[in-house]
Amino acid sequence: MKKLLGIALGILTAIGGFVDIGDLVTNAVVGSRFGMGLTWVVLVGVVGICLFAQMSGRVAAVSGRATFEIIRERLGPRAGLANLAASFLINLMTLTAEIGGVALALQLATSVEPMLWMPVAAFGVWIVIWRAKFSLLENVTGLLGLTLIVFAVAVFLLGPDWSQLIGQALHPTVSQGEHTVTYWYYAVALFGAAMTPYEVFFFSSGAIEEKWTVKSLAQSRVNVLVGFPLGGFLSLAIAACATIVLLPQSIAVTSLSQVVLPVVQAGGKIALAFVIVGILAATFGAALETTLSSGYTLSQYFGWSWGKFRRPAQAARFHVSMIICLLIGLGVLATGVDPVLITEISVVFSAIALPLTYLPILIVANDPEYMGEHVNGRLTNALGMVYLVIILVAAIAAIPLMIITGAGA
Amino acid sequence: MILNDLLGLDVFDDHGERVGSVLDARFVIDGRPGQTLAEARLDGLVISPHSRHSYLGYERMDMNSPAIINALLRWMHRGTFYVRWEAVQRITEHDVHLRNGYRRFDARLSAAPGTTS
Amino acid sequence: MSDLTPPPRSAGRVLDAQLHLLDRTVLDRTGVPVTTVDALEITDIEVDTPIEPGTPAPVITALLSGPVLGTRIFGGRPPRSRLERIPWSDITDVGIVIKLGVDGDSLDLTWVERWMRDKIISRIPGGRHDPE
Repeated sequence: MKKLLGIALGILTAIGGFVDIGDLVTNAVVGSRFGMGLTWVVLVGVVGICLFAQMSGRVAAVSGRATFEIIRERLGPRAGLANLAASFLINLMTLTAEIGGVALALQLATSVEPMLWMPVAAFGVWIVIWRAKFSLLENVTGLLGLTLIVFAVAVFLLGPDWSQLIGQALHPTVSQGEHTVTYWYYAVALFGAAMTPYEVFFFSSGAIEEKWTVKSLAQSRVNVLVGFPLGGFLSLAIAACATIVLLPQSIAVTSLSQVVLPVVQAGGKIALAFVIVGILAATFGAALETTLSSGYTLSQYFGWSWGKFRRPAQAARFHVSMIICLLIGLGVLATGVDPVLITEISVVFSAIALPLTYLPILIVANDPEYMGEHVNGRLTNALGMVYLVIILVAAIAAIPLMIITGAGA
Repeated sequence: MILNDLLGLDVFDDHGERVGSVLDARFVIDGRPGQTLAEARLDGLVISPHSRHSYLGYERMDMNSPAIINALLRWMHRGTFYVRWEAVQRITEHDVHLRNGYRRFDARLSAAPGTTS
Repeated sequence: MSDLTPPPRSAGRVLDAQLHLLDRTVLDRTGVPVTTVDALEITDIEVDTPIEPGTPAPVITALLSGPVLGTRIFGGRPPRSRLERIPWSDITDVGIVIKLGVDGDSLDLTWVERWMRDKIISRIPGGRHDPE
């Protein structure tokens, strides 16, 4: 159990990247339209986020500096501000969507209107950030989020044609009636979600919250190597469920109830209970991750005192900025906008945020002033350069693809 | 004055020819002793002929990987040199002028002063 | 540039403004972040007038923060009265962060932090307690 708790940071971070409300729906949409044909994108994304999260965790453990401090220090105020603006908008839009997501999950459980749950959800997120210890929040949401494994169980219970599923994954083709451009739009969206920058902001800041040092490097590696592959596994399981049940019936996924449909079909009410707990924990965890990331990025750029290891009074601007973010999120939701749609739009800002986040991480992970003997090895650097190119291509392609396809419509 | 006003200014030699722009200002902590640190004295300016963009830390000799990024930045800042304060003849709001017969030095930093090793 | 000779070695530590000082985090005596170095203030150089040979070099007088950041990003110059300073003499160490020998609360430039603490955070129940 203690070992499991030691990797809660990695699990919670990965939940925010792979199975938050936007990804839950996107994964099901992808499965219902393209089968397992985008499996490779998830795998590429898992390797990429492992690579850079591990670098950011290592920099934090060795030098005590979190990722946005490094971004400002290395890129200067201008490029740093461009990244802050883009990353902050992604954070804000995602946290808005997650609060909506918590409300949707509560609606599945209680049939009470999501509008009524939203203020409750936002208050819940705030009170946890205000009062709970960091270790408590990551352990509870990380562990409960694991109940999403019910999606993987459902795949087995549904007894699919495995050779067909694996065939789709190994030989990706664009399914009939779908456009190649739409396929690539979802490829970029899945990759962007896997590599979304708030994961490294949260992971590196979490490392500081947990007071990691050089001695924690092994722990950092385990966190990364368990957390993110698990996240990728869950997202593939969701896509597989949709492939097996929704694709043959041509059901278009537009809401959360369709995402859970295959699980209910496979395991009935008990499975439904598990999946609701899982979605609740995942969306709540992602809401915590993005709200804290908003506070972390702002504080680190401007040099404010931050961290949950301090009393709120000792990190006043950090806490005030998060309260404001939550209020803005609630305000946006009050207009009745679809939470899932918000996360889809936020991908656009990744075009700026992704390169400007991962370049400085790669550079500082090579800086002996910060890292001493723990600088990157050759293999890490070679992979890092390859991913920097992939990130750049995906970033440049994201906006035109989104416009051409009308966000995958 | 604010040091940042100096950074990025165009630099001219005494013939009025542009030789680059101010990339960085190098200080040495050897002035009058203070409570803990001595005063930081402006020792000179790092001047880059081709680029105003930051060197991103690669001006240090111990910083050289990833190789591609290192090569790219060294190329962007090829011909970068260092002049000492004595070589500065005049500073205006828009540019810096160097004295007749000013001397160019190697601008690279030998080691990271932040590390104790 | 490798064919150039290195400048004469000086006894003190060498710091490049852009590389070692600007945009680094500043921590107070107890390790709490105070600000980021947004700009540096040096003793005046007379602008537009020839510098006589032998004129003593300027020295850093303070780290600057606050509105000066905006002018660094968008251009322009802040009025002198709006500059928020940390005197150079307060610094005890320059590494990957800059460490001060004084408490953050004693510095003028932390007024926003102190204002938000006193007017907002302290008034919300639990604001002064450790997380549980």
